[in-house]
Amino acid sequence: MADTPRVVFAGLASCFGCQINITNIEEHLMDVLGQVDLKYWQLTSSDPMPTDFDVAVIEGAVTTEAAKESVQALREGADAVITIGACAATSGIPGMSTEDHAADMDAVYGDKVPYVVADGAITPMAVKDVISVDFEVPCCPIDPYDFVEVLQHALYGSNIYRRSSTLCGECKNNERGCFYGRNTLCLGLVTRSGCGARCPNLGRPCNGCAGLSPDANVAQARRVADRAGVGAAALDSALRIFNQPIADEEVS
Amino acid sequence: MPDLQTVHVADLADDATARSGNAIMMANPYRPWPARITSITPLTETEKLFEFRLVDERIRNAFHHEPGQFVEVSIFGVGEAPISISSSPSKSGFIELCVRRAGEFTQRLHEMQCGDIVGIRGPYGRPFPYEDMKGHDILLVAGGLGIAPLRSLINYIHDERSEFGNVTIIYGSKNPSEVMFRDQFEMWRHRKDFNLILTVDTPDDTWDGEVGLVTAPFASLDVDADNTFGAVCGPPVMYRFVVEEMRKKGISYDHIYMSFERHMKCGMGKCGHCQIGHQYCCIDGPVFNYWEAKNIQGSM
Amino acid sequence: MLYRVMDASELPKLIDAFMERYEVIAPVQSGRSVAFEPISSFDEIVLDYPTTLTSLKKYILPPRETLFEFSVDDADVTDYTLEIAPRVLFGAHACDINALNNLDLVFEDARYPDPYFEAHRAATMVVGINCSPSETCFCHLLDADEVRSGYDLFLQDLGDRYLISIGSVEAANILEAACELREATDEDRREFRRLTRERQEAFSADIPDIQEIPMLMDAFHKDEFWAELGGRCLSCTACSAVCPTCYCFDIADTLDEDGKTGRRERILDACTSPQFAQVAGGHNFRETGRDRVRHRMYHKLNGFNSKHGRYLCVGCGRCVRACKADISPIEVLRFFERKGTEDA
Repeated sequence: MADTPRVVFAGLASCFGCQINITNIEEHLMDVLGQVDLKYWQLTSSDPMPTDFDVAVIEGAVTTEAAKESVQALREGADAVITIGACAATSGIPGMSTEDHAADMDAVYGDKVPYVVADGAITPMAVKDVISVDFEVPCCPIDPYDFVEVLQHALYGSNIYRRSSTLCGECKNNERGCFYGRNTLCLGLVTRSGCGARCPNLGRPCNGCAGLSPDANVAQARRVADRAGVGAAALDSALRIFNQPIADEEVS
Repeated sequence: MPDLQTVHVADLADDATARSGNAIMMANPYRPWPARITSITPLTETEKLFEFRLVDERIRNAFHHEPGQFVEVSIFGVGEAPISISSSPSKSGFIELCVRRAGEFTQRLHEMQCGDIVGIRGPYGRPFPYEDMKGHDILLVAGGLGIAPLRSLINYIHDERSEFGNVTIIYGSKNPSEVMFRDQFEMWRHRKDFNLILTVDTPDDTWDGEVGLVTAPFASLDVDADNTFGAVCGPPVMYRFVVEEMRKKGISYDHIYMSFERHMKCGMGKCGHCQIGHQYCCIDGPVFNYWEAKNIQGSM
Repeated sequence: MLYRVMDASELPKLIDAFMERYEVIAPVQSGRSVAFEPISSFDEIVLDYPTTLTSLKKYILPPRETLFEFSVDDADVTDYTLEIAPRVLFGAHACDINALNNLDLVFEDARYPDPYFEAHRAATMVVGINCSPSETCFCHLLDADEVRSGYDLFLQDLGDRYLISIGSVEAANILEAACELREATDEDRREFRRLTRERQEAFSADIPDIQEIPMLMDAFHKDEFWAELGGRCLSCTACSAVCPTCYCFDIADTLDEDGKTGRRERILDACTSPQFAQVAGGHNFRETGRDRVRHRMYHKLNGFNSKHGRYLCVGCGRCVRACKADISPIEVLRFFERKGTEDA
């Protein structure tokens, strides 16, 4: 990397809320930016993306051929690629249309597909399905302090270990009872921990925006949902919000 | 509502001028002490030997390690990692750590230069029973990076050579380029007082040592079982095979020692990451004898 | 041990006296369950409460605690002060006091006494109270239904009065200054014994009483049961979060926003977290749910015994309720019970 690492921010299909959220750490923003040479921030600039940089930060899902090419170019130029938010990590909200993308297109546009859509629209993909990604900042939207931590991890290294345990442990640390005792669906059973279970702590069930844990036991979670009267089908359906892959096991 | 109490969990070094190094270290056992890198020797593509000297003279003088022990090394901001000590306790004032580039922490350590400062706390762990080993024949078997903790014992035996009987060292590597401390061992190969057997899985044109697993040389090994201590360190799969070879030679369960690898995060028998069955690798080990190991669920 | 009897109507005076000098933590209603929280008046306390969702552990071993602050450029520690509230943990049940005593064995060991733990413990008074078992309680099977040390006061409710065991000078001074006390009479002692027997009989008969648990943990270590139990595990770590005796932790550095300074923290961890036993280079010594769940149970019901001569599990039953996959020590006891019947 250059002496002061050169950083670029790119936004793909998303609400740009994660980039906005980074600006929300106002009092620390200059401290953070002081550690890097910010070459480009799509949210704040109309210039073209520069070609020389060390760290690429990407928000959003890949939904067009052009986006695919641009993330490939970012990967080629960057020593480290960081994705921010659920759209980039799992294809998120844009990814909800993945399953029946062609049929949905047909239903919406019929034979009158507008030029901007016809020209290169592809089935939405997570960034990591297009290029290798070094670091992910999870959730929808991201916690900006998580972003700072991950950026510093990319700049300086860290031997911190990212647990794949799911959310309930963090929820219990918040002294929270369980939604399943109240016949309410919650995806905390299978969602990767790290956010501090803040939605359940505010009285809202987890909707899985941090992504399915690689060690998630979906089969068991379905049993839990069935037994709680919520139903495994409701769990499966909720998992689709953030386009999580659904495990094949059936409830036994 | 009562006021909060501010508790100083030990003094900073500057505030503890009148105290002994040991007392300062134990006041807060989580506190790493600045240590300067004084020498870096590349060993292989992925391994380097670092020499460290503790900066505070009181701490340096109070630091005594034994073969088989480890330290916790800190790079502030990056984290902490347990690394076994490779130098002999007969040399004091510095320690040597043999470090494989295996993750982000060791990557950062490999990027550091002479003069750079890290943090060190320790030493931790139960060592090899080097005092009990005196007067006996010694059979040491190392595989790969397992040479790192064993080298402390090997060098100690070297420095106190007359105290020990016959010494056999079997050191296995994947290929010749991964043989560590090669210069040292090349010299030793011609010595009469060390039976050094270097072996590799895959030889190249230059290799004139043995070829095959570390267990192969046992076939032609003459062992005085009642008078021999064995010690083993290597990758997890190696232990069972090597200790069984030692058993076949007739060495008693409690004369066969092995050093286990686990992630010792605190080093003080608390954090739980290094638990094997009911034992803590960091304070009950990392060195266990075969009898103890057989009594630990999940040790091998 | 010194015993005194006090009228129940005196209790608010004791709490008021504590509140003058200490932050008082007590069981209070929290949603549908009861939690240990700071109180500001006696009226908030739920004296006769079922086991709380989480334990008192967080007041001695916080889920996240800064060990020290450091400077990256100087590569050195810059400060390690700890802000501690002098506290009274009021209304602890016997299992929870036994749990704190178990933590003492780990954190106040002679070789490496933990200065952070010690600082919290030294600033904390413990006042226990008797309880009646809920259906998930099995403390009596693990010798944790009675507590003989580790408290400043222990209150035994005798209806209109309390029989109080006094464990420390600090507490005796406050108690004597604030409340009217009298010597215990034979009638008090008879009532105490009657209530103790009543409690003994109130435990759920559905939880099997198994002898030689540590030995069975070894004997059935390779049984298929563990694969079945571990296969259900959600890896959510709720069990360790609510457990009063799960103390494992991780040590991690976090940089401040400017990247120049930071702090090293200890963060409570769980051996049921998939990467817990992973070493540098990626090898994981407990790769599967089977390995992890078995290890956790082994430590609770055998491993700690072989070091300290008592169970680490205190039978509080919190994990029984927290685990959505029905994994708990009770399931292990039931497995041993089944094995016993199958063999017979």
